[in-house]
Amino acid sequence: MRRSLFRIVSGAVVACLVSASALAHHGAASIYDMGKETTIKATVTEYVWTNPHVELGISPSGGTTTELLLELGSPPNIRNRGWTSRTVKAGDVVTVTFHPGLRGAKIGVVIKMVTADGKELHA
Amino acid sequence: MIRHLITLSTAAVLMAAAACSKPAAAPAAPAHPNLSGSWVRPLRDREVGGLPEIKDIPLTPWAADKLKAERPAQGENQDFANTTDPSLKYADPNGYPRISLHPMRFKMIQTDDYVYQLWEYNQNWRQIALNAPQEPDPALTWYGNAVGKWDGDTLVVDSVGYKDSTWLDARGLPHTQDLHLVERIHRAGENLAFDITFEDPGAFTKPWTAHLIFRPAPDGSMTENIYTISDELRFRERFLNQKVNIPIRR
Repeated sequence: MRRSLFRIVSGAVVACLVSASALAHHGAASIYDMGKETTIKATVTEYVWTNPHVELGISPSGGTTTELLLELGSPPNIRNRGWTSRTVKAGDVVTVTFHPGLRGAKIGVVIKMVTADGKELHA
Repeated sequence: MIRHLITLSTAAVLMAAAACSKPAAAPAAPAHPNLSGSWVRPLRDREVGGLPEIKDIPLTPWAADKLKAERPAQGENQDFANTTDPSLKYADPNGYPRISLHPMRFKMIQTDDYVYQLWEYNQNWRQIALNAPQEPDPALTWYGNAVGKWDGDTLVVDSVGYKDSTWLDARGLPHTQDLHLVERIHRAGENLAFDITFEDPGAFTKPWTAHLIFRPAPDGSMTENIYTISDELRFRERFLNQKVNIPIRR
């Protein structure tokens, strides 16, 4: 009972860490339109496992040049949510949902991504 | 003959009793609570305390003016692109106690002579020397010079020697090199509580106290999450199209 209670509490703590991670480096509201969500199917052009935020470059037109640059959480935080440095690679086709950049900037912050084989990952 | 036997028996009993007895035990060292473990203060947990609202902190005119001039990267009036936050502008260490406000966990390791805090974020750490005198003229450092002693079940930590370039929190709360913290660290049920009193005549007109609560966190291996100025410059160039020259800290 005590152990299962600890697991529940631990899970809740991890969930809190997860939800906080995207904002830990910077407030998002001065860069992204947090009231807007965009979902598109696109080809991955780059996937960089780096601090402060993992970077996902995509091409909605199916090309090899990054047309939209999206940020995820920091590596340890998104790793807690099932992402690894090999989750996707250039050339993969994904469906990604994100808050777009303000003033038309070609950037965004990822909310979730669905891989070609149907795996859904939250950022 | 009988008397001789009694004498021998008595001697044997006395020898046996002497063999069984031990020197008087030294007084047992007081048992202190075990503060070791992994602890976290989740960002959206409303019951983990924090630093008071700015209006409730007795700022000196100097501190009020400095705070007003800062451009934080988070919260109200956030300006990430032009922030003056030294932990972003220069990738400086967060310093203390700001590092404790970060939502990643820390490990507490307690020995007879030291208590260590190991923060997962940026692999920063500080040591608290137990039962050691405070340095009269300590070096100025990011995490200060901390000494501690037990007061019953509470670890009382006295720290000075802080560089004045750090912010006390992400809002830009300033301090001077005369910052003096007195912390009372104790268990609060399953949690760990820090009651931190801030004294700094240059920044605060009188001492004030913050209460922080840390929840027990999963005690697995620590991850590496080191953040550098090259990381920050890369992010700014790629996401904000900024070509930032690293400024000299003033």
